[in-house]
Amino acid sequence: MKKLFINIIVSLFVVATASSFASEEAHESSHDAAPAKSGAEVAKQCVACHGEDGNSLTPNFPRIAGQHADYMLHALKSYKNGDRKNAIMAGIVAALSEEEMKNVAAFYADQTGLSVVNIDDESKH
Amino acid sequence: MRLLLRTTSLIIALGLFASSASFAAGNVEQGKLKAETCLGCHGVPSYTNVYPTYHVPRLGGQHADYIVAALKGYQSGERSHGTMQAQSSGMSEEDMADIGAYFQSLQ
Repeated sequence: MKKLFINIIVSLFVVATASSFASEEAHESSHDAAPAKSGAEVAKQCVACHGEDGNSLTPNFPRIAGQHADYMLHALKSYKNGDRKNAIMAGIVAALSEEEMKNVAAFYADQTGLSVVNIDDESKH
Repeated sequence: MRLLLRTTSLIIALGLFASSASFAAGNVEQGKLKAETCLGCHGVPSYTNVYPTYHVPRLGGQHADYIVAALKGYQSGERSHGTMQAQSSGMSEEDMADIGAYFQSLQ
């Protein structure tokens, strides 16, 4: 029962967020000739979930600061073509061009955050 | 409008509270043992996936809850990736929580 209640609340939040983004995008996509936004510009809509610099403070939203740019581009494209399903992200990527996805991926890859686990370091412990 | 804003904030706050309480904390030491296989790909700097080619994601410092959610997504088939689906197929919730706790501990 408690789990059901939690699920309903989380779903409401997700749907509310996604639909507000979706309506903004419908408006923006009418400006087809607009130049691609820079990574920093695109990133403004990521802050609410992924944090100021991509180091999200909320545990169920991934940290993306310092993540590989090509991995993030792959993730964004997967959300766009429906391979990866997430209501919030689907709404976000709908209005982004490939160039904008590349730009925002490069922007977050440049931030300080995630690291690679180094096997050599680990084996010394 | 003001009421809408207030209601939305309340829903967001409740959602965040609910989600932060929804996963049991994993054991870092256990996770370190269980994550050994993961490091075959996630522990090699500049290691890449193929078809399509992209760097295997960095997981050091990633949120445990997100790692658990990702593993569950692969296990259920909601998220597609052959290797990750195979890796997650035999994992219990506890395994996932332990592995998540381990990666989160590597800041």
